[in-house]
Amino acid sequence: MFICGYHFPAAMGNKVEFDKVIEKVTAGAGDLSGVSSITLTSETREGVKLEEIGVEKGSFLFTALVDYYKNTDVEGDFKMIYYTNKYQISEISKAVDGEKTAAVCKKLDDMNLYRVKVA
Amino acid sequence: MSELRQIAFYGKGGIGKSTTSQNTLAAMAHYFGKKILIVGCDPKADSTRLILHEKAQCTIMQLASEVGTVEDLELEDVCKPGAAEFHPDDTTITEGYIMCTESGGPEPGVGCAGRGVITAINFLEEEGAYDEELDFVSYDVLGDVVCGGFAMPIREGKAQEIYIVMSGEMMAMYAANNISKGILKYANTGGVRLAGLICNARMTDREYDLAKHLAEQIGTQMIHFVPRSNHVQRAELRRMTVVEFAEKSDQAYEYRELARKIIANDLKVIPKPLEMDDLEALLMEFGLEEEVEADAIGKKATA
Repeated sequence: MFICGYHFPAAMGNKVEFDKVIEKVTAGAGDLSGVSSITLTSETREGVKLEEIGVEKGSFLFTALVDYYKNTDVEGDFKMIYYTNKYQISEISKAVDGEKTAAVCKKLDDMNLYRVKVA
Repeated sequence: MSELRQIAFYGKGGIGKSTTSQNTLAAMAHYFGKKILIVGCDPKADSTRLILHEKAQCTIMQLASEVGTVEDLELEDVCKPGAAEFHPDDTTITEGYIMCTESGGPEPGVGCAGRGVITAINFLEEEGAYDEELDFVSYDVLGDVVCGGFAMPIREGKAQEIYIVMSGEMMAMYAANNISKGILKYANTGGVRLAGLICNARMTDREYDLAKHLAEQIGTQMIHFVPRSNHVQRAELRRMTVVEFAEKSDQAYEYRELARKIIANDLKVIPKPLEMDDLEALLMEFGLEEEVEADAIGKKATA
């Protein structure tokens, strides 16, 4: 099965523990010391820009977005986030980051398109 | 050469099955160089039009009735190479290609549509269409397996891995559950497995949660959430897939990601379909339906 873009073998079943996902995402993100900021943007399906959103350092959400930005093959300065991935990242972040990212996760759960830029 | 994988896309009529399957298979050929044969099993014969850049391909049943019997047909008459980059001789973009065939069916209201599927698959096998160079054979199958004819690709063990195209709407989920029952019926005898749900999103509230939980309860995965995009309709008007029409678009990336996952997918399960009450409970839990008091059944909404 696939979570946050990573493949988990069938032997792990169809409910992979968050810990296993976090392990892969953290390894994928690598050293975060050089990352100063993450900018998320949201837009409607018609491409109307809605807002820019900051993400708190030290959260799973932060790590997952760095991992996505570094490892996705989506092109562009601001990289489109696959809908599947944004929902999965949000689900895990809500469970492990709690209040720290709750407001951002609520936004990620909507139907808008998000892009991410890591600087 | 890798082993031939026989996959099938099932789903409720009108859910976007043919559009999703063609765009995904196009991405498998375009980005990953896969060699594919599409066997359209829908009497509408619209499973290959985007790959062929045509209105609708002549079906095996149509051509057979013109020449007399299916035995009078040649493989070349019914199996056409995809247009442009999907043609086997065009390697400018990809080594991959897509061959296309449509089973067709009887006139509306007459005969059994499943018979066309059975005849077509037998003919293709006998004529050697399942070439050893192929990576995938993909069946695009109508409906929710109420009719045994449409279950033929799974009943006869042709399609080994089934992807159900669904959405967060009740009837699409009902159909997905019903198709799971069909797979379960033949899983032990034919070896068919459920490989995942593909949510062709209607962009309704909490659609991801609903699709994911349905998948989990059936015992499978929601392999990808495909958002709605105007690019799909724009490409369809030109009888093209999104990866050809706008290969750098967000929607093309979504299909590429789904293609990547299908190619790497190893989670193939015997499904555990839900009882109707459990399905309704799921819809209520995720807010699509509100619990209705017994005395409210059959009453109009208040203004």
